[in-house]
Amino acid sequence: MSTASTLAVPVRPTHRARTAAIVAAFAAFTVATCLPAIGGIELDLAALVRNWQNGVDKLLQLLQPNFAFFPRTVAPMLETLQMALVGAAGAAAVSVPLTLWAAKVTNQNAIGRSIVRTAVNVVRAVPDLVYATVLVAMVGVGALPGVLTLFLFNIGIIVKLVSEAIDSADHGYMEAGRAAGGTQLQINRVTALPQTWPLFANQWLYVLELNVRISAILGLVGAGGIGRILDERRAFYAYDDVSLIILEILVVVIVIEVFSNMLRRRLA
Amino acid sequence: MTVTTAEPRTLAETALPVPPRPSRLWPTLIATAVGVIILASGAGLQISWAELPTLPAKVAEYLRLMFAAPNWEKLPRALEETWRSISMAWIGAILCVVISIPLGILAANGVGPRWLRTILRGMFAVIRAVPEVIIALVLLTVTGLTPLTGALALGIAGIGTQGKWVYETIESTRSGATEAVRAAGGTTAQVARWALWPAAAPSLMSFALYRFEINIRTSAVLGLVGAGGIGSMLSNYTNFREWDTVGMLLIVVVAATMLMDAISGAIRRRIMEGARSRGLGRNS
Repeated sequence: MSTASTLAVPVRPTHRARTAAIVAAFAAFTVATCLPAIGGIELDLAALVRNWQNGVDKLLQLLQPNFAFFPRTVAPMLETLQMALVGAAGAAAVSVPLTLWAAKVTNQNAIGRSIVRTAVNVVRAVPDLVYATVLVAMVGVGALPGVLTLFLFNIGIIVKLVSEAIDSADHGYMEAGRAAGGTQLQINRVTALPQTWPLFANQWLYVLELNVRISAILGLVGAGGIGRILDERRAFYAYDDVSLIILEILVVVIVIEVFSNMLRRRLA
Repeated sequence: MTVTTAEPRTLAETALPVPPRPSRLWPTLIATAVGVIILASGAGLQISWAELPTLPAKVAEYLRLMFAAPNWEKLPRALEETWRSISMAWIGAILCVVISIPLGILAANGVGPRWLRTILRGMFAVIRAVPEVIIALVLLTVTGLTPLTGALALGIAGIGTQGKWVYETIESTRSGATEAVRAAGGTTAQVARWALWPAAAPSLMSFALYRFEINIRTSAVLGLVGAGGIGSMLSNYTNFREWDTVGMLLIVVVAATMLMDAISGAIRRRIMEGARSRGLGRNS
């Protein structure tokens, strides 16, 4: 037996070159984003040091909410909640067929599937307030652009998340349905849908939570709800009223979150 | 011994009782109530629903104005503003991640002391509830109408959700390594470095990139309140009713968002798949 046949401990693999390349790319991108000359942002830390007092003043004002303002916020808050609910309900109704069209196992037609998916991806790529801004310009100030914004925004989220969940789920039932000679419609109706309801319910509750949060700011661009009065008070520098409104949003968001967590636990 | 007389039984007595059909009363009632609430909300909104059928035609008309002949003259400026938005999102994401990882680790069960955990989780919940636009409005008074305000607002506003993800990730890692380090006499810092970090790092990095993706969308929103970037430009041209330019800007926003999503998504998948092959991935 020669020594050449003894097992040698392999050299510990090093990723030093790869790590260095990753760190370098990361650093280069970060530096590039900080160069005002090419459109990056200017890290003006001196301004922070100079003006931090302003921010502290604002925060101090915000810490003293004016509770006398409460009666005037009730109606807009109600409108916000209504907008959130109607937007989510509309999206929930439309999301079911769209989701089934967007998932591979429930829609064998590749062309139809990719059309739905592309459309949903485009809808998802537009930020919520951008919809609101454009829709306010189109259909006028009020609750309608708000509801439409939430509707579009919610469809994107629900269809993407649920169709991905359907695709990654276990398809045994659906294959059984196909083996028994069911048409795609029958398979979806008796196997895919019953399996998918909990996923849908989960996402519907999630978008409802999101909607309350978002509709609070939709008013900033004129789409109705509590955000409109928030913007109005801010324009008057009435920070005590602004603070009360933020506090209300906070309470409502937390209440909705607790409530939907409760529902979710019952559904699970 | 008494012998019970075996009486002949009828079939109905011997067979197992068929359980009654479960009541559909409650689900029906709840569904009806939810339906009524939704309809009432719809009716309560000051929307003239009768006008709704005319809406598609109106929207189609505006879509024609926007996309029939987008005005490409302003494209160079639009690209520059997009880059500014991306910069805002990137710096905001770095800021957010750098702050939320240590805080999130401390807020996880079994790492920090109980009182600290309660305070940190409360803080995350409060930040989550405050819209980033509000944070930007407060910051405007400090840094002015600059992209830096946007980056700071994104950084601070993201801490709420990011912190929550961090402590949930840490809690979902197996506790064996933590206990081993503790048993060997490790401090909290050593537990974080040698037990939690190796197991959670891939998920945390993936979440950091995801934060960047979210920030790209949000940075356009912050532009609407004056933090600069593509959002400011879009808001201006919408107010000017220059629909052909708005159309071009929307195309740029959608294209840039989808491109960044695709790049970041590819990197994320690489990170998570690399992690899974080492057996450290999170089953999500």
